[in-house]
Amino acid sequence: MLKERLTQLFTLYDPTIQTLISEVLMLEQAHISMKRPHLKEQIDQIISRLANKELDQVDKNSDGSRSLFG
Amino acid sequence: MTDATPERDTVAIDSMAHDIYKQLTEGGNMLDVPFKTMKDVFMWAVCLGAQQGQKMPLTGKRISIFRWAQFDPQIDVPLLKAIAIAESGDVSILLRRNDILNIIEEYANAGIYELRARIFDEFGQPLWNLVSMVP
Amino acid sequence: MKLERITLENFRQYFGRQRLDFAKDKQHRVTVIHGVNGAGKTSLFLAINWCLYGEGVSNVGELISKEAIKLASSGENVEMSVELSFTHDGERYLVKRSRHGTKMFDGSIQVNSADEFIVMRILWDGQAQTIKNPIGTINAILPSNIRSYFLFDGEKIDGFAKPEAAKEVKEAIYLVFKLETLDRARGHLETAASDYRKELKTATSGELRGLLDEDEKAREELKRKEDRKAEIGIELDVARRKVADIEQRLREIQNVRFLQQQRDRIEQDLKVRRAELEDVQNQIRDITTTSYFTLVQPVIGRALHLLDEKRERGEIPSNIRRQFVEDLIAEMRCICGRPFTDGSPEHLRLLRIIDNTLPGALEDEVLDISATLRTFNGRAHRQRDDLTIHMKRRAELVDLIKDLDAEADDIGRRLKDSPLEEVSRLELQRQSFLADIDRYNTDTGSLARDIDSLKERISQLEKRIGQARKNEKKEKLLGIKFDLAQRAADAIKDMYQTYADDMRLRIEAKTKEIFKLLIWKDSHFQDVRLSPDFDLEVIDRYGRPARPELSAGERQVLSLSFITAMSRISEEEAPLVMDTPFGRLSSQPRNNITKFLPDLADQLVLLVTDEELRDQARANLEPRIGREYRLQFDSKTSCTRIEEVR
Repeated sequence: MLKERLTQLFTLYDPTIQTLISEVLMLEQAHISMKRPHLKEQIDQIISRLANKELDQVDKNSDGSRSLFG
Repeated sequence: MTDATPERDTVAIDSMAHDIYKQLTEGGNMLDVPFKTMKDVFMWAVCLGAQQGQKMPLTGKRISIFRWAQFDPQIDVPLLKAIAIAESGDVSILLRRNDILNIIEEYANAGIYELRARIFDEFGQPLWNLVSMVP
Repeated sequence: MKLERITLENFRQYFGRQRLDFAKDKQHRVTVIHGVNGAGKTSLFLAINWCLYGEGVSNVGELISKEAIKLASSGENVEMSVELSFTHDGERYLVKRSRHGTKMFDGSIQVNSADEFIVMRILWDGQAQTIKNPIGTINAILPSNIRSYFLFDGEKIDGFAKPEAAKEVKEAIYLVFKLETLDRARGHLETAASDYRKELKTATSGELRGLLDEDEKAREELKRKEDRKAEIGIELDVARRKVADIEQRLREIQNVRFLQQQRDRIEQDLKVRRAELEDVQNQIRDITTTSYFTLVQPVIGRALHLLDEKRERGEIPSNIRRQFVEDLIAEMRCICGRPFTDGSPEHLRLLRIIDNTLPGALEDEVLDISATLRTFNGRAHRQRDDLTIHMKRRAELVDLIKDLDAEADDIGRRLKDSPLEEVSRLELQRQSFLADIDRYNTDTGSLARDIDSLKERISQLEKRIGQARKNEKKEKLLGIKFDLAQRAADAIKDMYQTYADDMRLRIEAKTKEIFKLLIWKDSHFQDVRLSPDFDLEVIDRYGRPARPELSAGERQVLSLSFITAMSRISEEEAPLVMDTPFGRLSSQPRNNITKFLPDLADQLVLLVTDEELRDQARANLEPRIGREYRLQFDSKTSCTRIEEVR
């Protein structure tokens, strides 16, 4: 019941945000018994991965910057 | 010989002198840019330094400019060895390549400035200035 | 979690091995454990906490049974343990925590190192499988940070209803409903976003555009110059052709034909001489650039002197090499070629030579270099002679060319001054075109230099553009990362608020439901509220907050309602273990609670005194009791015995 409620609230957001949130939540849950877990690098990795996907998507969609190279 | 450091086989110049080497070899006109190879520039620099008895240690960044194997074995190598023997007063220096290199690099480091001055700062075209330096 | 059995061995006043089974079926889910004060109810409660979490036992003194220690002999090992078996999510578990000690001579106990803690899964065939991550497993079943809401100390029963309890209420909800995970996630994402923002500020931007502009300008200029160079090339051709035409024309004119032909021959000669001059200068350059050795004759002289000295001191044979001598010995042949025998004078002499020489390497070097250096003097002479010859030739050629030029000029003058108008005009034109050609050549030369330097500049720019492109991409990526992190953090913040509110309202509703069930002054209280500030409040029928007027019992009921509401909503399968929960309630509230309590938990374990559970309260629980025990305390031994009543 609780999980369903969270999921419900969740789906209001953009899929990338959903992925990011759910991966970070899983990471946090795994370390919940630690008082102050050091998760900075792992979270950065998750965000970088998703950001790179977004960037590739944007590059594909745009017409590319003007190129003077032959 | 128990030399702790491995035998070098590259010759280095001080990075501050690198521009002079380029100036003396890069360009089209032989009258203005007399040297074809940097090796010749180097040999002139060493000989000028040795002739004047002027040495200058390399203090800046070292640039490895060419390999020992590029020296002419009939002329350059004996010449450089002779200079090293005369400077150190020790014949056994013949067996210590690194010591020979150190000496000639320091002569070249002093000689290069003299070379530049005599070729470019004097009145007349560089090639003829160089010719006038041959005794 | 549903408790099955607890086995105590030498735990505090529980001497020896004693065990107790818990009631666990749907109907009979209550276990009642009686004991007077001090009999061991609290110890039993402690045992469960200690076994599962290793906690709750500071400031309680020695855990190992004093009786066991007393009875042990000096040096003997005393073992203490608590074993708990339970089911959870269809699996059976066995948890055991134990401690060992050695009895010392002075009667005290020396505890051995750390406690042992094992968690095992019991498989369908009865085999026990040790679990690798015992702490993690227990925390996954009933997290340590919320255990106090289930393994429940009766003394604290009214805790949540106290006016100042808002903080505790909030914390309870926070922990039990795992809001901490959301909170941490939001915190970490905020930090990440803030870090990215900082990084973005320091990144350079706009550099790429600037470089691209510069690149474009440089290329435009390059094109302009190349075009101009091509143009001049064409003009040059045109001018040359014009000159050729004029010269041809001059050849056709009777009076001046011979002059032009003479000039033709001179031009031809000049071409040859100029080529030769170029050649000679090349050779001069080659000779000169390799003449460096001529500068250092004195130095060579000094080196030779040192080398000779070395040789003269007898350290090196003057003309015999070690290798040569070794070879002779190997072949058993003398220098003159005649063979010798082993041990003969010739043989011995050769061996002596070997003995007197230095190590081969230096010796060979010295011989080689001495020989070569001696040739330098001659070489220097030859080099100088060579140079002199070439310089002389150069001077001759320069003069020759000068003379030829003068001759050509002369012809030109004569043509210009010719009485024939046409000739004069043609020659003037010719000279004008030649002047143009000179200018074109000069311009071409300077354009060529500009073009080279522009190409170099463009190549440098392109390197920088490549780097700036990389940086820009990095910047873009950083921007996206910032955006994602910030949006995710904000999303969680929103979700959290909504979710927390949701929980609060559900808990509020459930608490109200249970409160109404348990309270005896039913109609007096209209509502139970859990405010956004987490104040647990009861509203009387006049619409006013009634908490200040609540009796101790009523407060306890409110608190209990809250706890059981949480336990129902959190969906944690956990037993409610209560240590003297009714101690401070009067009979009416007690009777009411006992009527409904069994249905508020999946499993109920009550540790009570006889006074707590009497008459109606007892009767209410009766149909639900599955197991009943009495803790018998022996004041002589200070030990407790668990007696099964039912």
